[in-house]
Amino acid sequence: MPLSVGGALSTLPARGRFLRALAGLAVLSGSVACNPNAQPKPGELRGILLPDPLPKIDFTLANTAGEPFAFRQQTDGYVTLLFFGFTYCPDICPVHMANLAAVLRKLPLRTANRVKVVMVSVDPDRDTPERLRTWLNAFDPSFVGLRGPIEQVNEIQRALNLPPAIKQQTSEDDYTVGHAAQIIAFTGDNRAHVVYPSGTRQADWAHDLPLLVEADWPAQ
Amino acid sequence: MTWWCFAQGTAWEWTWRPYPGVWLLAALLIGGYVAALRRLRPPGEPIPARRGQIVSFVLGVLALWLAADWPVGPLGAGYLVSVHTGQYLLFALVAPPLLIHGTPAWLLRLLIKPRPAYHTARFLSRPLIAFAIFNVVLLATHLPTLVDRLTVSQLGSFLMDMTWLASGLVFWWQVLGPLPELHPLSYPARILFLILNVFIPTVPAAFLTFADYPLYALYELAPRAVNLSARQDQQLAGLIMKVVGGLIIFGTASVLFFKWHGMEEREEGRM
Repeated sequence: MPLSVGGALSTLPARGRFLRALAGLAVLSGSVACNPNAQPKPGELRGILLPDPLPKIDFTLANTAGEPFAFRQQTDGYVTLLFFGFTYCPDICPVHMANLAAVLRKLPLRTANRVKVVMVSVDPDRDTPERLRTWLNAFDPSFVGLRGPIEQVNEIQRALNLPPAIKQQTSEDDYTVGHAAQIIAFTGDNRAHVVYPSGTRQADWAHDLPLLVEADWPAQ
Repeated sequence: MTWWCFAQGTAWEWTWRPYPGVWLLAALLIGGYVAALRRLRPPGEPIPARRGQIVSFVLGVLALWLAADWPVGPLGAGYLVSVHTGQYLLFALVAPPLLIHGTPAWLLRLLIKPRPAYHTARFLSRPLIAFAIFNVVLLATHLPTLVDRLTVSQLGSFLMDMTWLASGLVFWWQVLGPLPELHPLSYPARILFLILNVFIPTVPAAFLTFADYPLYALYELAPRAVNLSARQDQQLAGLIMKVVGGLIIFGTASVLFFKWHGMEEREEGRM
């Protein structure tokens, strides 16, 4: 009897410590798993992680209403998806825009409202403000369309490590524009940690956008 | 020039393009049919084929040609999953019954005369085997990974189309196969066989109709050919699969039911 009592008494503190440690671990793991502001782990995002995040550059171009749009200032705090394209683009641009619009329509409003899609025209000669607006409205009226001199647009692209747009004559009176196909995703910390190439699917956006919105990237 | 339609990833253009492989297939079928009727008819056969049979066979070849040639072929292979589903119905549910119905019994007997062909026909004439082949092909050829991989090459696209056709021939043989030596099913069993095959297509149809996002990378990322979003196109595909496929099968089951009813009445009248 004494042995059994003694044995029971002697094991209690150890079991208590074990249970306390277990509870602590559970709380810790719970806080990591449930914290919506945690930084996405490598491999968790389906976009391509940049080894060195890109700072959100400061530029001003005209929006489709003809008003100046200060990119850094007017997208501050939003997940901003920046794309360089043109409305005569036959494949990549409309697919990117259609996929983003489809996913934003399905995401919870509080997530969708924290995402801004900005398309900068690489064909300002043909993409008049009206044409650009009509084209973007076909996907989502909230999408921002920007245009400016091609030299300035190319300068912005170079600053983002993107190749400048190249006009390619397809016939005597027609041309197309070769341009970067990826979408750069700036997060709330005003940096881009991830880019989305051509071929990014709706399911990929639906997976990543909530993570990008909720992520808390460490300060620079 | 390409000989069979496949997904090329370029912007869709309403400009006619030739697909010689499709014409060759149609020419071989029609040429082979005409040659067989003219030269292979056994002496005892009064006519090579009934008029209705010839019309049926030609319509079957037309259905194949329509499914594989421009514009349905390239649209289905690389742009619209709804057209791809329409192609499936043409290859598996429309062309095969017309081809089987259009082939005279003496010609079918000739085709299965070689021993291996006869054994293969006997094996494929078992309803459970036919049920399994038809439905496995249906499910497998609608798997996104397979569709995304196969339709990007001419050979892959051709293989998929021919697999649909072959599975359709096996399926419809249970319903329309006229040769007593292959033990055809009774009318009630044929009707039951048809109705049982209505349920499995519901699986891909439901996935297509109710998926939150496009299932096939190929059709999602293809330049838009018409004013339909990738998801609307996919939902339309689900409806086509379920409604049109269901109508074909239930329609045939109804025809069989009335034939059975007529046959029973004639037999009762004789007694």
